[in-house]
Amino acid sequence: MTTKRVVVCLDVKGGRVVKGVKFEGLRDVGDPVELAVKAEAEGADEVVFLDISATVEERATLLEVARATASQLFIPLTIGGGLSSVDDVTRALRAGADKVSLNSSIVSRPELLGELSARVGAQCVVASIDARRVGDQWKVFTRGGRTETPLEAVSWAQRCVALGAGEVLLTSIDRDGARTGYDLELTRAVADAVSVPVIASGGAGQASHLVDAFVQGHADAALVAGILHDGVTTVAALKRGLRDAGLDVRGVR
Amino acid sequence: MKATLFDYGAGNLFSLVRALEVVGVAPTIEADPLACAKTNDLLVLPGVGAFGHAAARLAPARVALARQLAEGRPCLGICVGMQLLFEASEEGEGAGLGVIPGAVTRLRTPRCPHIGWSKVGEEDFYFAHSFACRPVDSSVVRASTTFDDERFASIVRWRRTVGVQFHPEKSSKAGLALLGTLVREVTS
Repeated sequence: MTTKRVVVCLDVKGGRVVKGVKFEGLRDVGDPVELAVKAEAEGADEVVFLDISATVEERATLLEVARATASQLFIPLTIGGGLSSVDDVTRALRAGADKVSLNSSIVSRPELLGELSARVGAQCVVASIDARRVGDQWKVFTRGGRTETPLEAVSWAQRCVALGAGEVLLTSIDRDGARTGYDLELTRAVADAVSVPVIASGGAGQASHLVDAFVQGHADAALVAGILHDGVTTVAALKRGLRDAGLDVRGVR
Repeated sequence: MKATLFDYGAGNLFSLVRALEVVGVAPTIEADPLACAKTNDLLVLPGVGAFGHAAARLAPARVALARQLAEGRPCLGICVGMQLLFEASEEGEGAGLGVIPGAVTRLRTPRCPHIGWSKVGEEDFYFAHSFACRPVDSSVVRASTTFDDERFASIVRWRRTVGVQFHPEKSSKAGLALLGTLVREVTS
């Protein structure tokens, strides 16, 4: 058995954790190292740092943040945002990341996935897909949800896996920050279409939403962010909710 | 306690260094495999990178290191570092140290890679792998783990060498506790 994972995502900009609604309107929610360590103490199974920096200066701080975090964090750390080459990824891993998540860079150059998995192993390589419903399908967006691509999310996820991704981080732009639950249809469509673990993202408001993502959405992991930062709930409370729903989770008795 | 941590040049060694420090080990990172074979302290083969890449980096010192392990040098192999104790892997070209007879084969589970927390004994530990070790001699297996419909060796022990398929350095408190125990076992 593998437990259902609760993944805590921290959007990092200029060395601080920020949170936005529908990819816009950012506000400061704290220090990344402190929040990551707190997440582990509460029972989080993984931490993700997504670098949403707009400038090179802001971005330069992320590797320092990663290093400071990795020296205190003993659960997996994923870093994403702005990684566009094997060298970028190597630097992120050397700074203390266990996995890297790639989004816009693999849309522009899908071969990067194969180059990376040959070097660091597929289990280190996460394909991050931001999707939004357009008509009767889900389209892939890049650049933090601003640019629509011709790609359809389910087939793009399959292609990412075929090329070497070991995991898919699937974000519904429509649900991001809305707290009305994950896009279960999207999550299930992707989770059923690929053989690698899928992390559902965008829309968590309460424990039952995570239960739905696992049971109905067939996700292996669920990502949470905003509801933790606002003190709406805690990782421990979410995990108790999962356990009470009969799901296998780590660290809850 | 001193240790030499072999750097295949492919990933995050930082967390493992920190975890070893927490359990009282002071590792020296060494990228030159021949230099790794010049000392006789705890050899750590970290769990980063793909088998083919790591095996190629290890190749110049393969025979020397295998001999050291046979003679009782303590060794800890994590994830792909555990797999390098075996003869060969379906993941890539090249030879492992071959101190434990057997091969490394791909998981045939519906979901692969196996990423997440699974039971080793009573506790959950973090796994991130697509391949698993298949020892010829089952007496080396200290613990097994079940993922989907497959059961595989998650801890192997041979002489003063121990291999773990999961990442103790990424398994929170339970991982650090086990890391300390394993290090003491192979070095005492």
